[in-house]
Amino acid sequence: MPNWKRKLSLCAAALCTAAVSLSLTAPSASAQDKKFKIYLSMSYSGNSWQSEAANIVKALAATPPYDKTVELTQVISGTDPQAQIAAYESMIAAKADGIISFPISSTALNRVIHKGCEKGVKFFMYDATVTEPCAYNVSYITAGFGENSAQALVNALGGKGKIFLSRGVPGNSVDKRHTDGAMSVFKKYPGIQVVDEYYSFWDDRTTQQETAKALAAHPDVDGIWAQAGEYGAIQALMDKGSKLVPMTGENSNGFRLALANPDFQKRGLKGVSAGSPPASAGYAFKLMMEALTGKRDLKPGNIEYPLPWVPADQVKLCKGQTFEDGCNAFPEGVVPSSFVTEVFSPTLLPELSIQSALEGKPTPGATIQPLPADVPKAADEPGINCQKCEPPADQYKLTKVQPTVNP
Amino acid sequence: MSILATKAAATSHRLAPSMPARAKALLASGTGIIIVLYIILYGLYSIWDPTALTADTVLNLTNNAVPLAIAAAGQTLIVLSRGFDLSVAGVISLTNVIMAAYPLDGPLGAVESLAICLAIGGVVGLVNGFLVAVLRLQSIAATLATMIICQGLSLVILDAPGGTVADFISYDLTDVLFGVIPISGLFVAAVVVLWMICRRTAFGTGLYVVGADETAAHLSGINVKRVRILSFVIGGMLYGLAGFMLSAQTATGNPNAGASFLMLTFAAVALGGTSLSGGRGSVIASIIGAATLMLLQKVLFAGGVSSFYTGIFQGVVLVLAVVFGNVVTHFVERRGAT
Amino acid sequence: MTEAHPPGATVAPAPRAQRQTERVADNRRTARLRPETITAVCVFGISILLVLGSRFVSPALGSWDHVNTIILLASFLIVVAFGQGIVIMIGGLDLSVPALITLGGVLTTSWIDASSGMSLPLIPAILLICACIGGISGLGVTLLRIPPFIMTMATGIITASAALGLTSGTPRGAAPPILTALMKASWIGIPVILLFILAFAILGSVLQGRTSYGRRLTAIGANPVAAHVAGIAVRSSVLIAYMLSAAASGFAGMMLAGYANGATLRMGDDYLLPSIAAVVIGGSSILGGSGSFVATIGGAILLTALSTVISALGIPQGWRTVIEGSIILIALLLLRENTFAFLRRRLAR
Repeated sequence: MPNWKRKLSLCAAALCTAAVSLSLTAPSASAQDKKFKIYLSMSYSGNSWQSEAANIVKALAATPPYDKTVELTQVISGTDPQAQIAAYESMIAAKADGIISFPISSTALNRVIHKGCEKGVKFFMYDATVTEPCAYNVSYITAGFGENSAQALVNALGGKGKIFLSRGVPGNSVDKRHTDGAMSVFKKYPGIQVVDEYYSFWDDRTTQQETAKALAAHPDVDGIWAQAGEYGAIQALMDKGSKLVPMTGENSNGFRLALANPDFQKRGLKGVSAGSPPASAGYAFKLMMEALTGKRDLKPGNIEYPLPWVPADQVKLCKGQTFEDGCNAFPEGVVPSSFVTEVFSPTLLPELSIQSALEGKPTPGATIQPLPADVPKAADEPGINCQKCEPPADQYKLTKVQPTVNP
Repeated sequence: MSILATKAAATSHRLAPSMPARAKALLASGTGIIIVLYIILYGLYSIWDPTALTADTVLNLTNNAVPLAIAAAGQTLIVLSRGFDLSVAGVISLTNVIMAAYPLDGPLGAVESLAICLAIGGVVGLVNGFLVAVLRLQSIAATLATMIICQGLSLVILDAPGGTVADFISYDLTDVLFGVIPISGLFVAAVVVLWMICRRTAFGTGLYVVGADETAAHLSGINVKRVRILSFVIGGMLYGLAGFMLSAQTATGNPNAGASFLMLTFAAVALGGTSLSGGRGSVIASIIGAATLMLLQKVLFAGGVSSFYTGIFQGVVLVLAVVFGNVVTHFVERRGAT
Repeated sequence: MTEAHPPGATVAPAPRAQRQTERVADNRRTARLRPETITAVCVFGISILLVLGSRFVSPALGSWDHVNTIILLASFLIVVAFGQGIVIMIGGLDLSVPALITLGGVLTTSWIDASSGMSLPLIPAILLICACIGGISGLGVTLLRIPPFIMTMATGIITASAALGLTSGTPRGAAPPILTALMKASWIGIPVILLFILAFAILGSVLQGRTSYGRRLTAIGANPVAAHVAGIAVRSSVLIAYMLSAAASGFAGMMLAGYANGATLRMGDDYLLPSIAAVVIGGSSILGGSGSFVATIGGAILLTALSTVISALGIPQGWRTVIEGSIILIALLLLRENTFAFLRRRLAR
């Protein structure tokens, strides 16, 4: 790096003082062997889910042999699509080999992605998706979280009752897909009455406050269908008194522990933990690296990550730092309650441990294991992962649970 | 004294001072400083990134900065008359979803869409102006309410991101003319020209006087209500134009598209040296301020700043930029005084 | 195209001084109702009407339970708006509020172990750290003459990024029992948070209205130059205002941590605009120099009450948002100064 020092001194001259003392992480590629230049582009960071997903990618990029062959740079662009567009442009200009990203918008980034593809950059999106056909979408979205969890809630309620919908971010395509799926089930049951529907921004604390507001108007609620942030809904119920109700939610450790808590079960809590797994970021990263290193011939398209599905009676505490013997939650104190538990996968991501998800550190002694040859394809869903396409006729087909009550 | 200051500001261009004095004044003003800052940042960028001076990069930068620059230009008008306009976020979202939900193709369609966007912005601006100038509500409160209402309407029109903007708008308006001139940049140029004309009209002068001292403006025969309402209407129309340009760039609708513009327009205005307490500043400085904000991301990226350090550097650069401006102003004024 | 201006043109313009003299004259005639008092009464009146009217939306609303929920949810906003109100009073604006809420919450849950007895000395220590960050904003505004908007925005971005770096994205730990008790416990049937907000309201109003520091803030907001000439230590007063605002935000972060029994990095995001809105709906001028904390509390309660009622409407989110904005607009029109003038004339008769 001959001009590294010059960079620094120029920077110092122009921007002066303190700013520079924070070490600039200037690219430190060694000249002898070519490294893959990978960028991790996050739209925003600040909830457990986002950080865990990013940490998983960082940990995998530091696990041998990728620690020697991958140069990973993380860029956080905030909630502004314009900023992420600018970030992608910079990455393409910097001759990135691959960009792994959580896209802030399913449509606004299409043009810049298209330009990048033409220059040979591989785009792998995790969790959220884009409708640009030259990108790879690795996501659970099409796996039916909404309809399956809704059916589980209907089953738990015996087909009738007043329910809340705790949704995500208004005007967001993922939120809409989940809710449309859920409503396809709820609409079949005239006994199910959606008495309140609020937006919780996939955040525990917001969910708690919004659920508290809804409870003020409807203290007699019978069940809650929640997207991420579900642990906040339980806390809001407990703030009100001792009564708990059946509810479904996503994968926070607090929610899983609550589902398994015999005391809570006595007070009326039952349900299913399912939803968005941060592990899909790790799967996307490994797929991208296998494609880049030529170990796998993968055409751009939609790849489905399996939907985690843990009913109350299947919650099992882990003894160690990894998911062993099919355990799927950690004891209190090991991780915060907002920690999203679906960070590992014994078959897809055996390299990871808790330290990987919490701090982005590789597991000592682990090396990258090859992925199974078979890559599950995801269904086309217009506005989610394709533009001018038709959804399959059985778009909201139940896969994890069957109706136990008739409408 | 502040009345004197505005009078000086309002008449300075007619006096046509000697060249060095003019250059000095330019350097000491917000516009001069932000131009120097932009050049410094671009210099750093071109050192760190060899592609910085290519036509492609310039096009990207222009397309990225145009919506914010136009929105910041609109905000400046309201800030100059000592107000805040939060409705910028609502108008941009609303025009964006309308462009995506009701695409009109071809050059004629583009003109129609543009007219619709300008009309929406103008109407919202008229409501704001009426609330502030006639009903005497505080601008920040009145525009907060109109912003929320516009956000709601955007969600009613489009409940999730989607729709497609007409191809002519999304492709031709983001392209280059004669291989070098970004077309979107021409829209900004048009805004600048209009501003330079406007600046010399009774409205332009009135804007500064009203912002500096409303009572004095009233006493000197300026129709304060008219100036205020006009500033909100023109500001609103510029937000509409910003929404139009944003739609051209993203080619799709998003009911939350405008949200990120709220803070960024104010940051661009403040970075351009326009006083948030009114009466002093320039639309052109805000436009370059907006361009600087967008450039900053690229510079930090090219400099190898990543992860959460980006935020720390952004904050530090914002502060240093203003300190730099203060120091230059101080220095030039010192020299001018002796 | 450029604006020439003589040296020193950055000082606040004159009319505020004029307005201020009117207001001071107004204040001296204590027999007459002060506009701040009328605003406060009206804001609370509208809130009560809203809560009573909410029975038509859902029969469970409008109850004592509903009021308790409103107070609990508004408590965070009240504390944040106290600090924001002080900064707005001096003609500034604090955009670092969300970052400091987050910092307060994150430091609380990560430093204070739920089981240890260290929470009592650590709470003031964390508040002091927050105040110091506010102090940096204050120094930038006073010494370096950076516009408050840019300065607090910058400290906010830096603080938020530092919090992200420190926690690697996942804040650990839980809230100490003392904070959980503050938010959730009851004392002879009265929620502790209600008592706390009452005490906070009294202390805050006394600080703003009855102490010499509070009067100094009003004078500075009305006209900093005149305040300086009158011998007021403008710089230190402004500095303290930013420190108070940051500490208040930090404390709101602690309360949020106690409420949710944990911290997240975006816990402060929802409080920036509402904190400014509460202050402005409470009748304070965004340009500084006027306002009362009691009316600000009314503004915070009005906004929270509105959101609880809106949330119970069974209509799509877009229309809900439209209605929310419209009601805020109607409330603003009802709170207009002309309406007060009319009322005052009526009362004087």
